Amino acid sequence: MANLSLKHIYKVYPNGAKAVNDFNMTIDDKEFIVFVGPSGCGKSTTLRMIAGLEEITAGELKIGDVVVNGMEPKDRDIAMVFQNYALYPHMTIFENLAFGLRMRKIPDIKRDKDGEPKLDKNGETIPVMRKYTKQELEEKVTEAARILEITEYLKRKPKEMSGGQRQRVALGRAIVRRPKVMLLDEPLSNLDAKLRTQMRSEIVKLHKKLQTTFIYVTHDQVEAMTMGTRIVVMKDGFVRQIDTPKNLYKYPADKFVAGFIGTPQMNFFEGMLKKDGDKVHIDFAYSDAKVTVPYSLLMKTTPQYLDGTKSVYIGFRAEDISLDPEIVDKSDAAIDVKISHTEELGTETLVYGDINMGGDGFAETSTRVIIKAGGFREYAPDTVMKAALDINAIHLFDKDTEKSILPRVPEYNFFDCSVRGGKLAFAGNTAELPAAIEASDGSGELYVPVSAVTFDGSIKGKVVDCEEIDGKFLVSIDVNGGRLYALSDSRVENGSVKIGLDYKQITLKIGDRECAPMPNVNSLTGTFVCEKRPETIEANGKTKTRKVAHYYLDIGGVKLEVPPSVYEKMFAATTGRKVYNSTFGYEWSPYDFAVADSGIEARVVGDLDYGAERFAVCEACGQTLYVKTDKPLLGTVMLLPDADKVSVIETERQIRIV
Amino acid sequence: MSTAKAKVAKAKTKKVLNVLITYCILIVVAFVFFFPCLWLILASFSKSGSIYSFDGFFPTEYGLNAFDALFNDTVMYNYPRWFFNTLFIAVMSCILGTVLTILTAYCMSRFRFKSRKAMMKTTLVLGMFPSFMGTIAVYIMMTQFNLINQHWGLILIYSAQAPMGYMVQKGFFDTVPYSIDEAARIDGASNMTVFFKIILPMSKPILVYTALTAFTWPWSDFILPKMLLIDKDLYTVAVGLMSLGETEFARFAAGSIFIAIPIIVLYFCLVKYMINGMAAGAVKE
Repeated sequence: MANLSLKHIYKVYPNGAKAVNDFNMTIDDKEFIVFVGPSGCGKSTTLRMIAGLEEITAGELKIGDVVVNGMEPKDRDIAMVFQNYALYPHMTIFENLAFGLRMRKIPDIKRDKDGEPKLDKNGETIPVMRKYTKQELEEKVTEAARILEITEYLKRKPKEMSGGQRQRVALGRAIVRRPKVMLLDEPLSNLDAKLRTQMRSEIVKLHKKLQTTFIYVTHDQVEAMTMGTRIVVMKDGFVRQIDTPKNLYKYPADKFVAGFIGTPQMNFFEGMLKKDGDKVHIDFAYSDAKVTVPYSLLMKTTPQYLDGTKSVYIGFRAEDISLDPEIVDKSDAAIDVKISHTEELGTETLVYGDINMGGDGFAETSTRVIIKAGGFREYAPDTVMKAALDINAIHLFDKDTEKSILPRVPEYNFFDCSVRGGKLAFAGNTAELPAAIEASDGSGELYVPVSAVTFDGSIKGKVVDCEEIDGKFLVSIDVNGGRLYALSDSRVENGSVKIGLDYKQITLKIGDRECAPMPNVNSLTGTFVCEKRPETIEANGKTKTRKVAHYYLDIGGVKLEVPPSVYEKMFAATTGRKVYNSTFGYEWSPYDFAVADSGIEARVVGDLDYGAERFAVCEACGQTLYVKTDKPLLGTVMLLPDADKVSVIETERQIRIV
Repeated sequence: MSTAKAKVAKAKTKKVLNVLITYCILIVVAFVFFFPCLWLILASFSKSGSIYSFDGFFPTEYGLNAFDALFNDTVMYNYPRWFFNTLFIAVMSCILGTVLTILTAYCMSRFRFKSRKAMMKTTLVLGMFPSFMGTIAVYIMMTQFNLINQHWGLILIYSAQAPMGYMVQKGFFDTVPYSIDEAARIDGASNMTVFFKIILPMSKPILVYTALTAFTWPWSDFILPKMLLIDKDLYTVAVGLMSLGETEFARFAAGSIFIAIPIIVLYFCLVKYMINGMAAGAVKE
């Protein structure tokens, strides 16, 4: 019955191994979250950090509104179910369930022998903490046992029970306290397949009944897909994607997620994309297969990949490829597949083949293809058939980063543009370039991030679609036949709209010259120091002189005092005196600097006037800083960053501390 | 058909033969082990008392004189007194030693702290040296503490040395899954509660084993009491029996037999707890 928030959570072991990297998530009340990933991906570690069984190296974990980083597991009001049940073998099932209650005290008021409340001098009740009474214990345990249907086993010992029953007891032990958060660490891994399916639906039922936040760890993607309201896919300590089961399946953020979710695994081919007018040619590598599809289906593709020079991964799920002659006949995107063998699964048949006529269809290569066909269809091995690809369901990934290049929310809008006398012309519109963007006349390319499109400006467009994604709205805008995507916080109705561009985010390439977007983070490096100063404080009516410690960020000799919210986190993330001997990266946004009488000495080297906003480009400590300013700055200035808004990065382990 | 029957018959004979041979070997081994005991028992019932009057291995005449003298002739050799001295030292060392050993083993098994590995290795290496190597040092230390000729000196040494052999107990605790501790901790138990309410009740077999070993060592030790005890009245049985005169062999034998009784009783009382499988059902193996 609480929401959780995990902010920049890291787990770094003393040997330097990073088990969890920058885990960020907010979990709403009553959600069923599943952490899934291959073994060693950090999912259990994250769960154990939430439970308090593992220390958090850096980051902030909140349960409800309370930061629980340093709190004991018992004070976090959580319950956990272990893979190996972890029942107390010497206790009966009743005692196993009651143990957690016996360890706890509940608030009550002081009473006399007859159970009447005792009153203090002011006639008010006196609050006390008391243990559960025998009757209360029995009631609670029986209630939990009833929910899990283990009432008749209460007098038995764990060893007299089967695996499934033991896991029920473990669940019972967790629910009997009615915790705020239920943590389940692969609870079904030790059960056989049939029991697992049964317990799976029972846990889902339990979640509905208890209306509590559940966090469930599993390596089984089927479990994840069937149980979670949202799934966190992890690999190598990194969160790869957090989304609902449906969105994970339909819009995987990278190749790993695409391959991990769904059986049989998604087919991955290598190939190249080339845009040619309103068509895109898809050329499969190691094969003669080629298809040409309308650009309108691939409009969200990151534009750089459409020039026919970059190799990409092309993904199709087994059900998105069809061997049905009727569909193949109608399809514009059919390729030759050499059938190698089939697997009959009853309701469907998995057809294995290869789009390379020399391939064998067994090895997991980038030409092997698995196709889902109807039940009990016969396909002769070594025949070559036409298979239709459903281009609506295509997935595209970068070959190196493996990130999706056809994401749900596209990264950039891409236009061919030209600049004439300080005016930018693109998609049939002209707009005045701000002074900050110095572009010589010529034609080139314009990249506009979706976040850079604003709904106030002079560019006329027509909203053709509005799609809700993660609480935001992706608006498709038609600008003189060109497509522009924008993000909006509220729904935008179809119809004409006026939009503007946030010029500090755009990239403009004219000839060889590239006008890059303004960085939104200023990085500086420095150390952390402590100074003790005698101060007079008044306590109990007496004035005392005591040494008080003050903590500073030291950036090139300039000391900046930091508030407890910052230095406490820095202490928590480092052991011993290491905090004083490490170098840190300090980051501020351009909006967090003030020009003052003292501070970091910076030389102004430029001025960026974006019309609505103005930034000064300064050089300090060997770094270039971008600073928001109201009037042009000149010469040398003193910059005072806002210590409250600093982001701290420990350079040695590369972890974000604040 | 008949060949099959013959095969079955052959297998049967082989089985019987196997059992027969096994038993023969066992009987021989048992005799080898039991013979010294038998000899000692018979010697204790010798009437003359002196080993020189024996006819070969065994006494010529039997009687209860030795036992009578053991308990009634207490002027020179106060056996009952020695017996209770030994019992006191052994029981105290057993209690203290067991507590210390179990706590050490639990710490080493459950907690991760700096120099844990170094400590484990050091104790392992130190344990390889025979304990009487340090007798001189122990003696000097005891004189400093003014614990010479006192039972508490012995008890302290025995209890302090007991945790050196914590490895077996640590091995046992290592087999108790850590997730049980964690489950208890989430349920609201402190380190103390986890130890006393969860781990200790599960560890009866190892507790019994530890108590037995911690009891038998001071019970039968000779070197330390010989060195530290001066007054005859403070002697333990082992030292006392050693001080008997040369002609008192039957009395020596009787004393030796009598000293074995508490251990046998203890063993029979505790053996039922030393059964395995206390941890069964806790977790999935």
